[in-house]
Amino acid sequence: MSTTVRITVNGLPEDVPFFATLADLIDLFQEMDRDLIVEHNGRFVFPQGYAATKVADGDHVEFIHPNFGG
Amino acid sequence: MLTTEETRRYSRQMQLPEIGLKGQTKIAAGRVVIAGLGGLGSIGAYYLAAAGVGHLRLVDRDRVALDNLNRQILHASADIGRSKAASAAEKLTRLNPHCRFEAIETDIGYGNVEALIEGCNVIFDATDNRATRQVLNSASVKKRVPFVYGGISGWEGTASTFIPGQTPCFSCLFPPMAETVEAEPPPALGPTAGLVASLQCLDTLRLLIGLVPRLAGRLQQFSGSTMEFRTLPIDRNPHCPVCSRLQCPSSP
Repeated sequence: MSTTVRITVNGLPEDVPFFATLADLIDLFQEMDRDLIVEHNGRFVFPQGYAATKVADGDHVEFIHPNFGG
Repeated sequence: MLTTEETRRYSRQMQLPEIGLKGQTKIAAGRVVIAGLGGLGSIGAYYLAAAGVGHLRLVDRDRVALDNLNRQILHASADIGRSKAASAAEKLTRLNPHCRFEAIETDIGYGNVEALIEGCNVIFDATDNRATRQVLNSASVKKRVPFVYGGISGWEGTASTFIPGQTPCFSCLFPPMAETVEAEPPPALGPTAGLVASLQCLDTLRLLIGLVPRLAGRLQQFSGSTMEFRTLPIDRNPHCPVCSRLQCPSSP
């Protein structure tokens, strides 16, 4: 049995550990940013949901860095 | 009541069935506070004044600097050192003498924000930092005034419209937190500011006319490096410290 799942992160295919959560992916892809926005399969996920949301084969995850300049 | 001159001035936009005389009259009765007169505010103020928004309150604490002029097209070389609010009011009066412009040179803080948005139908966010947006958002939620957010950084831009009690508020997405050190200003490119501010203007006009704001309940991301728009549906955060106690208006 494979120990990884194939997901798409920011448009690119990635193999990540089975049972990885969004919190794990933020660590893995070094996306730590206090203003980070995470999109999981087209849905916005609040930070309180990162640790509880597991990714599965074929999922799409986007890390979005919003802009605050004017 | 529009004058003959005004009817002629706005005739091209009044051709739109959603605007017409009725919509233009609503635009003329509109009051918008533009918070910040930099890259976003230059474009926002210009288009809203040109479209005939009756009253624009122009707020900025800064003075025009040389490195503003690559994008802040309300201001010119001769304005360096002048108050941005005064510079903006002068240009906008020249553009459209039918509108009323109130130039206010001040910092926006918790102590004055409610006075600054008093009587306004829309808060047009053209600030350049997260902390001031938190201040504007708190007043938006408290006074139930829609908040049209825009932000830029280099090739990228973000926009959303927050309707208190109906959509997420700014703090639902970006919870308030102590600002430690002032962040280094990000790179800023004029056309990105122009594009994001134009999206904000469209939704501001929609709000004034009474149409559904299309950036409500969605975070709009634009990348000028790929020329792609991404739309992310967003929900209210049940744990939001600012707006979670506001009830959704009951459906008719």
